[in-house]
Amino acid sequence: MKHVVKIMALLVAISSIWVGLLQTSIIPHSHTWLLPIYFVVSLGCYGLLMVGIGLMRFPTCPQEALLLQQDIIEAKEFLKQKGIDVGSD
Amino acid sequence: MGLADRAVGFLLSFISLSIFTYYTFWVIILPFVDSDHFIHQYFPPLEYAILIPVFAGVTLLFFLCVFIGMVILKSKKKKP
Repeated sequence: MKHVVKIMALLVAISSIWVGLLQTSIIPHSHTWLLPIYFVVSLGCYGLLMVGIGLMRFPTCPQEALLLQQDIIEAKEFLKQKGIDVGSD
Repeated sequence: MGLADRAVGFLLSFISLSIFTYYTFWVIILPFVDSDHFIHQYFPPLEYAILIPVFAGVTLLFFLCVFIGMVILKSKKKKP
């Protein structure tokens, strides 16, 4: 519930800034009307950029993968000795 | 596997950066340029700067609703 309140407060602050800009005409009017959609598009672009950067920097840890495979083989042999069927060999 | 991931990530970030620069140019910088500069022929008229994102947003919402509807229908079919 508190997270929604925070997001609503942020939205209200941003829209009040936008309406204030509209009233006092610091920026020419044609620009002020385009600002909200510009911010929405740039937010989408930023999200896509973060996803792309995260994909590029994803760590794969090849040594840990090898150790994991060895652990799996050990566990399968141990369980087979004890008589439990591990299957999918 | 890592190389394909990195390539997709690079492609995504490149697409997002190019869309961002093109849109910034279109909406913010172009209205300040004289109307007989050659650069104006590379950008569509300014109404499209609003139409295209709104159209894309509506399309996204449409596909989202269709997907949710299909999932709900499939789960209702399996119950009885």
